[in-house]
Amino acid sequence: MAAQAVPAAGPMADTWIPSACGMCYGTCSILGHQVDGTLVKIEGNPESVYGKGRLCGKGVSGIMTLYDPHRVDYPLRRTEPRKGIGVDPKWRRISWDEALDEVADRLRKVRADDPRKLFIQRTTTNTSSRSPFQIFGWAFGTPNHWAAGGGLHCGNGAHLISGIMHASWSVVPDFQYCQYAIYFGASKGHAAGHASCSNMGMAADARARGMRMVVVDPMCNFAAAKASEWVPIRPGTDAALALAMAHVVVHEMGIWDAPYLKARTNAPYLVGQDGLYVRDPESGKPLLWDLTAGGPRPYDAPEHGDLALEGSFRVNGVPCEPAFQRLKAHLKSFTPEWASPITTIPVATIRRLGREFGQEARVGSTIVVQGQTLPYRPAAAIAFRGSQGHKNSVYNFLAVALLNHLVGSADMVGGCLGFNPVCHGHPDTGRPSYIPKAGPDGLMVTGIWLAPHLPYPFHEPRMPETMSFLDIFPMSMMSPLMASSDQEEMWERFELPYRPEVLLNYGANSLMSVGNKETVAKTLRKIPFIVSFDLYLTEFSDFADIVLPDCSYLEALDSRPNFPFIFNLPGGMGEWCWAIKQPVVQPSGERRLAMQVLPELADRVGMREDFNAACNALLRPAPPFGLERDRRYTWEEICDIELKSNFGADRGLAWFKEHGVIKWPKKPEEVYWRNFVDVRVPIYWEFMKVVGDKARAIAEPRGLKIPPEYYDPMPTWLPCLAHESQAGAYDLYAFYYRDIIHTNSFTMENPWLDEAARLDPYSYTIAINAETGRRKGLTDGQEITLESEGGRRIKGRVHLTEAIHPEGVGVGACAGHWAEGMPIAKGKGVFINDLLEVDLAHASPVNLNLDLCVKVRVVQ
Amino acid sequence: MKWGMVIDLKRCIGCYGCQLSCKAEHGTPPGVFFARVLKQEEGRYPNVRQLFLPVLCFHCEDPPCEAVCPTGATFKWPEDGIVDIDADKCVGCRACMMACPYGARYFHDVEQFYFPGNGPTPYEQARSARHQTGVVMKCNFCRDRVLAGKEPACVANCPTVARYFGDLDDPTSEVSRLIKERGGYTLYPDLQTGPSVYYLPP
Repeated sequence: MAAQAVPAAGPMADTWIPSACGMCYGTCSILGHQVDGTLVKIEGNPESVYGKGRLCGKGVSGIMTLYDPHRVDYPLRRTEPRKGIGVDPKWRRISWDEALDEVADRLRKVRADDPRKLFIQRTTTNTSSRSPFQIFGWAFGTPNHWAAGGGLHCGNGAHLISGIMHASWSVVPDFQYCQYAIYFGASKGHAAGHASCSNMGMAADARARGMRMVVVDPMCNFAAAKASEWVPIRPGTDAALALAMAHVVVHEMGIWDAPYLKARTNAPYLVGQDGLYVRDPESGKPLLWDLTAGGPRPYDAPEHGDLALEGSFRVNGVPCEPAFQRLKAHLKSFTPEWASPITTIPVATIRRLGREFGQEARVGSTIVVQGQTLPYRPAAAIAFRGSQGHKNSVYNFLAVALLNHLVGSADMVGGCLGFNPVCHGHPDTGRPSYIPKAGPDGLMVTGIWLAPHLPYPFHEPRMPETMSFLDIFPMSMMSPLMASSDQEEMWERFELPYRPEVLLNYGANSLMSVGNKETVAKTLRKIPFIVSFDLYLTEFSDFADIVLPDCSYLEALDSRPNFPFIFNLPGGMGEWCWAIKQPVVQPSGERRLAMQVLPELADRVGMREDFNAACNALLRPAPPFGLERDRRYTWEEICDIELKSNFGADRGLAWFKEHGVIKWPKKPEEVYWRNFVDVRVPIYWEFMKVVGDKARAIAEPRGLKIPPEYYDPMPTWLPCLAHESQAGAYDLYAFYYRDIIHTNSFTMENPWLDEAARLDPYSYTIAINAETGRRKGLTDGQEITLESEGGRRIKGRVHLTEAIHPEGVGVGACAGHWAEGMPIAKGKGVFINDLLEVDLAHASPVNLNLDLCVKVRVVQ
Repeated sequence: MKWGMVIDLKRCIGCYGCQLSCKAEHGTPPGVFFARVLKQEEGRYPNVRQLFLPVLCFHCEDPPCEAVCPTGATFKWPEDGIVDIDADKCVGCRACMMACPYGARYFHDVEQFYFPGNGPTPYEQARSARHQTGVVMKCNFCRDRVLAGKEPACVANCPTVARYFGDLDDPTSEVSRLIKERGGYTLYPDLQTGPSVYYLPP
């Protein structure tokens, strides 16, 4: 692996090549400055909306990831049959032919036997890798696919609920018009994540314009550092604060947006005493109460008078009330006095935050945007990973989301926006085009999504055929069972008819990205054959049988690095933008791009036709650009097809290689779509009871308890295991946060980022409140050990700080590597995931989100 | 004319984009930073703020580093006020490092590359090999870029648009206007060094 990258032969002019960043999933557009085959600089591409010509510290540092001499340059085969943490695989260099022959041979046999035995795992860092690997999985016939901790550690709650409520992957304040944003465990515009770099500029503009921002977070870094106000909170109690704010808005201020609730939500749907909708006996459609007509009518009746939000009614002798009446009554008990001891936030602060939010929403006001008069609701409640990274993931996120829906600020000017859930397409082609539509019970179905299944409607809970048990838990997107300590027990109890035999890994390091390493290692040891596309020999690679040398993003081609737009394009008015990723240097050694290998591998496995059909199913090329059944396509050709299909025959890969991006203006009808699209979203989750009962009927006879309190139609605050801990010695809540100079676990190997992190007071340290530290006799900078209640221990250097809750322990990113193949990263920072238990007991019984806060004690 | 910079601390989020785009532009050796981001907490829990302070050479009107340089290696370009170092004249005595009150200067002692034991990467061959050893290094406002009509790398790259570059002698320039309207200030004004880098309050 020691070979240096060698510039491609021949004179290469001094060129700037448009491409896409790959240092995080934000995927900003870049220009690579190449001189004589060597990359000498990366700058932002000012022609693009993604980053707007500017890059974060990670983005400009990609050169040192590209030229890392520890990159894998050749296919490798392990010669040591034993697998384990710290066991040297004793790699032997092999040829690509030898490697692919062995992989294809294994895959052919597995596919003939039971294709579900293939388990595909990939990194979230390169999110668009989802498409080619999903295509491969579909073609092969396996439903077993996961993002190695993605979902469990980011947004099983955030993405699912943003999908149900906003038809988007996530939410942001409408930075251009918002006057008051309150963040719950989110850093939008201040560190990592979706559209991260673009949002940094937009958030700075909003701050300069005078937008007030309140950040609720156990730690004052990133967003909280720039906020008008930091509100420290006990980890995992965000729902209690949000519910108390909703109580203040509804019960103390008497504010809600009645026209919005009546027209765009299920607030007027009548609910019976059993908690379920009262339905039209003939059509089965939920009913609402027409005050003008003085009677019930189906929710989608073409004409109706004023609808009831409050009151009690009888339909066919059945007593019922509108869902809003239910929600209002539900909120009655969530007073600031109730929330204060849970959250540790003073009563007066909670009450003030509720009043500020209610006032700033300016219910009833309008504004003109590009000639359109639209509701103006300049208040946004924004949650992300921090608040929903718990066992009570769903309620924590939903309680925050409801604030926006009560005041009608969801996808309204100045409010809480989903990213780009409506696109009318490029003016020349009308593509890509998608729009939410009304689904079962009139509730919104998103127009576009990322796998594995739509956020709504849910499939019926059923006996599992997947390793993940998403079959039983249809509101989950990723499941810990792929690498949990109870996986075999659960698979046996639920009669999973097969076990994984081949694991195909793309760039993920699940040894570090899921939870404690022993648990994950145990699951990996059981899989007979593991093949891994890698940049470096990581902790995960140690468990692989074959390692394939992947291209870095600077050597890669991708026709859709930023698509779908609900993932990464900045929200709000502005421009649509489609960019490509293309090599800015030629790959050295024998590196090959995984996406280029997949069609060849499909051929070797003998599934070319299925692969082409899956390409058509996922990319949905417009005629005449679809893939033919039995032709062998290269990755370049597939990229070309997607681009021509979307932007016309003269705008294929060659056009995009030259131009980099294509842009066209957004319309108010797209950005503020909720005023123009006739769909409703649920403020009352009637389906929860139905789904919960069905899941319980399957799970409980097999000994898996599903507590009904997690499946209530309206959110409450439920304590996590950490909150219920009785062991007084374990007095601190350990959590991690996403560092601004690190992505997942791989950037610690970049020596520029590593150097910056070593100089940063927080990146590689364990943050503990200064007063708490003094009480424990700690001194700043000393080496400490944290011990979880489960007896798991991690080590690190303590940083005593005023900027953290007295009960909090804050650790940056996913550091603490031990692999010899990543010598820059090795031993740097803190491996906090090693404290995490990985099992269903530590996961949400609704969406399987892993509980990411752990009660710990300091052992000196 | 006098080139100067304004850094808006209200916009800065401490992303290190300046520190690292500077490194990428100049290929500075390990431990050498022409631009850095410092972080400091202010106040006591829970009334605490984080201050992110990007720093670089302040290109002083009356630079103490220039006054102590025995060889004339540190000098000020008369036409634009940029304080620069002629590496060929620098003897590495480091008197300037002692004199600079802002810690903006770095001594490039021995040749080092970012992957120890592996020699220079192709990038470092192209960008870092030109740096002499045994000399002091620092920011020169990306003078080559500026002469080519571009902004300094840290200014052009800043994701929050927190950095502005322009002529301090021109009262109508954006930097002059921002300093006047937003109360721009310099660090350690009592030292009377006359920095050309101003901050706008957070």
